[in-house]
Order: sequence, then C-alpha cells, then structure tokens
Amino acid sequence: MNAVEIRNLTKNFREKQALGGLNMTVPVGAIYGFIGENGSGKSTTEKIICGLIHASGGEVKLFGRDLTDGDVRAKIGVLIEAPGCFKNCSVWNNLMIQARNLSLQNAEERVREVLQLVRMEGAAGNKYKNCSLGMKQRIGIAMALLGEPELLVLDEPINGLDADGMRIMREVLTDVAQKGCTVIVSSHILGELEKVATHYGIVRGGKMIKEMTAEELEASCRTYVALQTGDMKAAKALLTAKYARVEEDERGYLRVYDDEKAENIVAYLYRYGVVVHEISTAKIGLEEYYIDLMQGGK
Amino acid sequence: MEKQFEKNTFAKRLKSMLRVDARRMFTSRFVYILAGISLVVPILILVMTSMMDGKVSVNPQTGKETVMEGFKNVWQIFGSVSSLGSAGAGATAEGMGAGMDMSITSMCNINMMYFAVAVLVCIFVADDFRSGYAKNLFTVRAKKTDYVISKTVVCFIGGAMMMLCFTVGALIGGKIAGLPYTMDGFNVFNFICCVLCKILLVPIFVAVFLTMSVVAKDKAWLSVALSFGVGMFLFMTVSIASPLNAGMLHVILCLAGGGMFAVGLGAISNIVLKKTSLV
Repeated sequence: MNAVEIRNLTKNFREKQALGGLNMTVPVGAIYGFIGENGSGKSTTEKIICGLIHASGGEVKLFGRDLTDGDVRAKIGVLIEAPGCFKNCSVWNNLMIQARNLSLQNAEERVREVLQLVRMEGAAGNKYKNCSLGMKQRIGIAMALLGEPELLVLDEPINGLDADGMRIMREVLTDVAQKGCTVIVSSHILGELEKVATHYGIVRGGKMIKEMTAEELEASCRTYVALQTGDMKAAKALLTAKYARVEEDERGYLRVYDDEKAENIVAYLYRYGVVVHEISTAKIGLEEYYIDLMQGGK
Repeated sequence: MEKQFEKNTFAKRLKSMLRVDARRMFTSRFVYILAGISLVVPILILVMTSMMDGKVSVNPQTGKETVMEGFKNVWQIFGSVSSLGSAGAGATAEGMGAGMDMSITSMCNINMMYFAVAVLVCIFVADDFRSGYAKNLFTVRAKKTDYVISKTVVCFIGGAMMMLCFTVGALIGGKIAGLPYTMDGFNVFNFICCVLCKILLVPIFVAVFLTMSVVAKDKAWLSVALSFGVGMFLFMTVSIASPLNAGMLHVILCLAGGGMFAVGLGAISNIVLKKTSLV
C-alpha cells in the first residue's frame, strides 16, 4: 500500500498554473526526497497533501483514503516553511498546545520525548522568539513528531541547521522511518538528502519528471574519471577530441564521463606527452544527477 | 491491507480544541488587559461626565454654546427603559439616539464592549494564522467545525467576562461619582435580565467578528476594520433587545437569537475556511 498516491494533480493560482497534472507515489515507510527548482510546485503539492490549500483538479489519497478523512489527517506531522509557534510562549508551552490539539493522553511525557529526540530538552523553558533559526527548525520537527505521525511532511527542514543539527535531523528521519513512518522531505541541500532518502521524486514545472528508488538512482548514476596533469590545457584538448563529455570541476580537475577505464586514459594522454599526476574514479551523486536531468541529461 | 487509524469522535475533537483555546485565551495577558479596561472605562466615564455635567463649552469659531450633559443615574450607562414597556419590540431612547443623539451618555455605554469583543476575537484569530499555528491545526484537523465552535464558545466566555467587568466597574464608578442608584420603571430583576441579554447577544457579535476574522486571516487590522463596520449595523438592535426594563421574554429572545445567529454565521465561517487557502 502507498502512503501517498497522487494522480493528475492540478493547481492554478488565478492565471498561473502551479501544478499541471502531477503524479506521485510514496510507498509506506519511505523517506521520499522531493526535489525541484524554486517554484516547481513542491511546496504547493505538500500544502495540498496537508489540506492547507485546495487542488484545482486531480486526486490525492493518503493510505488509500480520501484526503478529507479526519482520522488519517490526525496522523500527519508537518513542517512547512516555519513551525507554527507563538513567539511569546515558551518552547514547552508551544509543544503542549500542539499536544493537546492532538488529544494526546500523556502529553507532558510525549513533549519530553520529542524534545529529547531533537536534543532540545535544555531549551524547553526558552521563549520561542529567543530561539535561533536552527533551534526553531528543530522545534518544528519536534512538533511534527508529537502525534507519532504515520506521515511526516517536511518542507526544507535542513535550512538554517548547523552540521550538528543536520546530523540530528538525519538520525531523527532514519529513526522514524524505521518505526514505519513515511517521510516526504523537500530540500535543496541534495547532498544531505542523499544520505537518508530511500525514494526520490523530481518535479519540474508542476509535473513529476522522474520518480525512482535510491537503488535506481545508484544504478543510473554514471561513473567518471577525474584527473590532474602537468598540462591541463593540452589534456583537455586531447580528451575533448576523443571523449564525448569532458568537464572541468570546481577543483580544477578534468572529468571524463564516458565509460572508460582510468588506465586507458593515462595511456592515451601519455602517448601525446601529457603526464597524469593524479587520477581517480568516482560516481556522480544526486546533485550532479539532478543537474544533468534538469539540463536535459547531456 | 488497509491501515487502521484511531477514530476521532466529534466530542473528543471538540473537547481537546476547547481546552487548547480556553488555555490560550485565559493564559494570555491580552484578555486580562481587556478585562481591566472594561472595569476601568465605566468608572472613568461616570466620574468624568459627572465632573463635566452642566458645564458650558463655547465653540470659538461659531460662538455657539453647548451645555455638557452627564449621566443622571448609574443605570443610564447600561441602557434606557423601553418606551413600549417590556415587549421588547419598541424603540428605546438609546436606540433612537444611535443615529441622531451624539451626546456622551448615548455613545459611552456598555454597548462599547462589543467593540472590545471585536478586538479580542480578531487578534485571537489573526494570531492563529500569523504564528502558523493554524497550519499545524488544520493539517491534523480536517473538520473546520471544531475550530469555529471552539472559537465562538471561548470568545463568548471572554466577552461575557468583559461585560461583567463593565457592570462591576459601573457600580463602583457610580459610587465614586456620587450618582443615584434609583430605579424608575424597572427593578433589580429587570436589571439582571438586561445585563443577561447583553451577554447573550455576545455570541451574535462573536460570530460576526469570527467570520470577518477568517476572511481576513492573519491581517488583524483588516478583520478589526471589517468587524467594526459590520458591527455598527447591529448596535440598533442591541438597544432594542436589551432595555433596562427587560424581562424573561427578552432573555429568551436574546438566547434564541444569539444561538441562531452563532450557528448561522458559524456555518458561513466554516464554509470560508473550507473554500479558502489556510496559508
């Protein structure tokens, strides 16, 4: 069974079309990395899933039930844009308000648990307005986790987090997913997303252009050879003449994307008097795959 | 296999919503500030108007003289005796004066509290949307009815509290100002019925202000402006429905009217929440 199943979802904001027939399938227990450029329709889709805005057309099913089903909706945890907290209330009180909203029996205990989970137990008495951006994001996550959700929808949760915050976030997401919770997480920090996601959905112009599992991504990510020589200019000219795709990366290394062995490249350059100083083989990550896809898969 | 979800009954949902809203409202400083203002305002009005009573002011441009008229007794600040007895259908001096008589005694009375209720409702609701709390709330609560009922009930209690504070303030203010507590044409029972009527009319105003607030969402200034605008139209009926010589019939009519309007306007608020974006 799928946690989220979306068919032909459309949304128009007056004349502007935000979603143009988006399809999306999120299996139960998945950590679904929802990727796309700004304005591609990620947040709109997430808001529709949470019932915060209405779709112009299409169908959204959560765990096989209609989106308006109150019992299913009660089991959604959400962090969209910013956590919904009262700035003059303490972190503890904000969480207690949400806990009571969710009719939790053991509200105080649960609040303590989620604060511990996001390593915020020491800041429970702080006023929300005095918390840093990273702390606010963690409070948002804690709030989303309060009702032990079956579906967690997180929009850019890593924004503003420091390295430690990102690690905590990774641990939390992996932990809740292991307990059977389905997570939809959108982020522009693809390197971080790659570390936790089990499924991906890439959206562009309000349409899903690719959905795949982490294994499928791994299989479709091409290998490349990165090298440094004594004469980079000559090496680039030689490699460009022989191979279809040669690029210079941010470190100044040349990358050869064709499926070629490193020793063959070394031999080829040596034949023309170019000595290779350093060479390695690697695989492109999610970020490069995404950029490739957005540029039309050169 | 289909996943099983815990069934949330209407009663359970409403109970938790009411608990949250009541806690939020009655732990907020704002509601006590409003209650304090409700207590102090009638004291200030009665004392200041008594001090100015009979004084003559001259307009320097026209040279026209105006005699300042204060309250003749304490009860004038609550309303006036209906000219057609206790039938409740007749126009009162206060009601008639709403459009024409702009004297301080017709403007400064308990009906001002409905404006304070507008401020209370609008800020309370706008805060939900401004803070993002509404986002959390409506994600886990598909039924908007819970929100509307809960807000109406809690704001009604807040409004009733303000009315009672005003009543206490007026009684204290009358003593300080040395105004008579004579009851011509009504008795204590009528007075209690009058205040009760004023309180029972609060749900009508709360429902109107709530509708304006869910339309304006996080824009508190817009919801206050809309509420004041729409609320103005209702003030005539307040004077007619709750005269000083009100009886049980007035109370029953206000109870029925308050209930019906709250339900009807609540349904409109519900539709607004269902049909519009919540972020």
